[in-house]
Amino acid sequence: MEFIQKKTADNAAEQFLPKAADKGIKLAWDRFEGQLPECGFCESGLSCRDCLQGPCISHPFRDANKMGVCGKDKDTLAVQTLLKLVLKGTMASLDQVSDFVEGITSGEMKPKNVAEAKKAIASIEALLANGAPALKKAFPKALIAAWEEAGICPQGVAKDLFKASQKVEGGIASAEETLFWAFKAALLGAFAQKLQGGLKKAAFGVAPAEVEVNMGVLNGKGATILLYGRFSPVLKAKIAAAAAKKKVTVAGVCTDPVLAPYTFAPVTSYGSQELPLMTGAVDLIVTGDQFVNPSVAAIAAEYKVAVVATETLKGEKLDAFAKSIVDRAEEAFKFRRSVVRDIPEAKETALMGFSAADLDVKKIADAVTKGKIKGIAILAGTNNVKFTQDLPFVTLAQEFLKDGILCISEGDASVSLAKYGLLNPKQREKHSNKAVADLLKAAGKNLPAVIDLGYSENGGVMEFLLALEAASKKALRQLPILACFAEANRSAEVAEAMTLVAMGVSTYFWPCLPVTGSPKTMELLSKLCNEKFGAKLIVHTDKKMEPLAKAKMILNVFNRVPDPSATDHPWTDWKK
Amino acid sequence: MKVLMVDKEKCTGCHQCELWCGTEIASNSRELAKAINEEPHPVPRVYVEGKPFALQCRHCEEAPCLDACPNGTMRRDPETGLVYVNEPTCIACWMCVMVCPFGIINPSSSMKVAIKCDRCRNMGYPICAEVCPTGALSLVERKDYRQRKF
Repeated sequence: MEFIQKKTADNAAEQFLPKAADKGIKLAWDRFEGQLPECGFCESGLSCRDCLQGPCISHPFRDANKMGVCGKDKDTLAVQTLLKLVLKGTMASLDQVSDFVEGITSGEMKPKNVAEAKKAIASIEALLANGAPALKKAFPKALIAAWEEAGICPQGVAKDLFKASQKVEGGIASAEETLFWAFKAALLGAFAQKLQGGLKKAAFGVAPAEVEVNMGVLNGKGATILLYGRFSPVLKAKIAAAAAKKKVTVAGVCTDPVLAPYTFAPVTSYGSQELPLMTGAVDLIVTGDQFVNPSVAAIAAEYKVAVVATETLKGEKLDAFAKSIVDRAEEAFKFRRSVVRDIPEAKETALMGFSAADLDVKKIADAVTKGKIKGIAILAGTNNVKFTQDLPFVTLAQEFLKDGILCISEGDASVSLAKYGLLNPKQREKHSNKAVADLLKAAGKNLPAVIDLGYSENGGVMEFLLALEAASKKALRQLPILACFAEANRSAEVAEAMTLVAMGVSTYFWPCLPVTGSPKTMELLSKLCNEKFGAKLIVHTDKKMEPLAKAKMILNVFNRVPDPSATDHPWTDWKK
Repeated sequence: MKVLMVDKEKCTGCHQCELWCGTEIASNSRELAKAINEEPHPVPRVYVEGKPFALQCRHCEEAPCLDACPNGTMRRDPETGLVYVNEPTCIACWMCVMVCPFGIINPSSSMKVAIKCDRCRNMGYPICAEVCPTGALSLVERKDYRQRKF
């Protein structure tokens, strides 16, 4: 029931909105308005389509249909809605890691460090089979003990995912138990991401790289390929290698931009992913499944852009596939000479893809424990049409940095922030206050105001948090760290938020998760999670809250300002 | 006089009208996430029961509820012709509930007042018609509605 007046904070994206309207092209924002009002039962997690006796709803205002045909009540429905999201998110992580492993084991690419890659693949296989018990050594004992007490330590795909998925099929599991199954599934996905990060390091090596961001990176002078969404890094590297030979430009949308020795300039962030096609400067797009709006196919057709899907039912040799993609891009470029180029000038430099190893984590830990900075904020997530694109991210980051809070970001959130110069090392002093700027100067080489820890599939944030815990010798729940999913959208982000909570980092999540129909589930996410993990998943129901108000609310927590009106504030130990 | 027209071909029985009527009209918070948790729970003024057809007060020209009401609590707005309950004077005798041929007047035992649709007479447009995803509910002139001029 919310209509967003200003669609995007990104001027490059905004200039395409009237052009799309003139041409009668419907964009995500138009389709969102067409969907309004959205179904209130689905929004609150009170609907169910799990069997063919339904669909059922739990009607909040009617006694006759409080329960589904099978007897699911509002608490079961809401917590299962959350579980389904987490399952889908975890599948996304597992799918990515399995693609990557397949690319390496096919022998089509020689990893940089063969021994390490073999080790990483063995760990991934162990994770799938038995939950990789050896992996637990990477985590602090107290954390593992808390997870084991709750029964959420991953035990392998068959044991965790198959069982967890059956909780939505039937049975009499309580809301608590179902929630723990969701945590277990989320952790399995997070472990997979951590191992994928290890495999990426072994196969390609990791180092921060300077990339240019926003639609100005397109030049329209030669053939240009855009990689959409997540797919095998091996295929990405093959495409980049084949393109380099023929001087074809390869850029990306919603795809990991740093893959040594290649970079894929992020052309835009998730919310405006349809717009680069309207510049006319894209000749071919390669699309994965995750993070790709099906609408790009129709807009690509409108602008005569060739489309190649990476996942088809018939497998192909990667080298030949990559070469055919580049050849097709060149052909498309010739064929598309008559298409008008309309490229915005917006372009910003960003240093992306840091890892814990590139940072002096000890200095960061000292700054936090000694109170030199007020805390650390993790900015994560993609865009969501329910908010002005990028505005929540940018507002939060700017307000946090001004108030002495170190900001780290990951994935598409980094791309959103990079568009406004927050990832440009030259603009560090402009955005951050002295305490943060001093820390950034000391804690690494050429650090920008917001530190990007890579795309979520590489588990960079988890790596950083574990390093921080080791360096500070304090549990994460005792450190002033908050995570903010300011404009979340995909199920993978829900799984990620659950993992952060399980690790002891209280997490703000916008828009509100479809659990608001069940006060019990809401309470479990705050009270039970706080008891078990020392962190809460904070779901705000106020849809009209402005980004600045959100920033102020979170700053109150960092500044230890008690707010009795907010019952869901993360009153973690570090607040005392 | 404008009344709500229900197109039974378009109604899918999705209950959205009930949900948002309950939230916007009947709840104290007027916010879905909070309204869901209100006790006693809000009572929507529109009903989708059994069949996909949203039923609310027809604001009958010869309204039996007006005749049955012993103390003038049930009233007709002389300007709009809409029938409404003047809540402060309701004595909860449920005569109106008994005589309504559609059964759309609900006895609210917790509040001790009769609850019925007033076609959102104090709002610009009825909320049920506004949220209906298929356009099954719309506001039309009663004379057109009678002559099926739609």
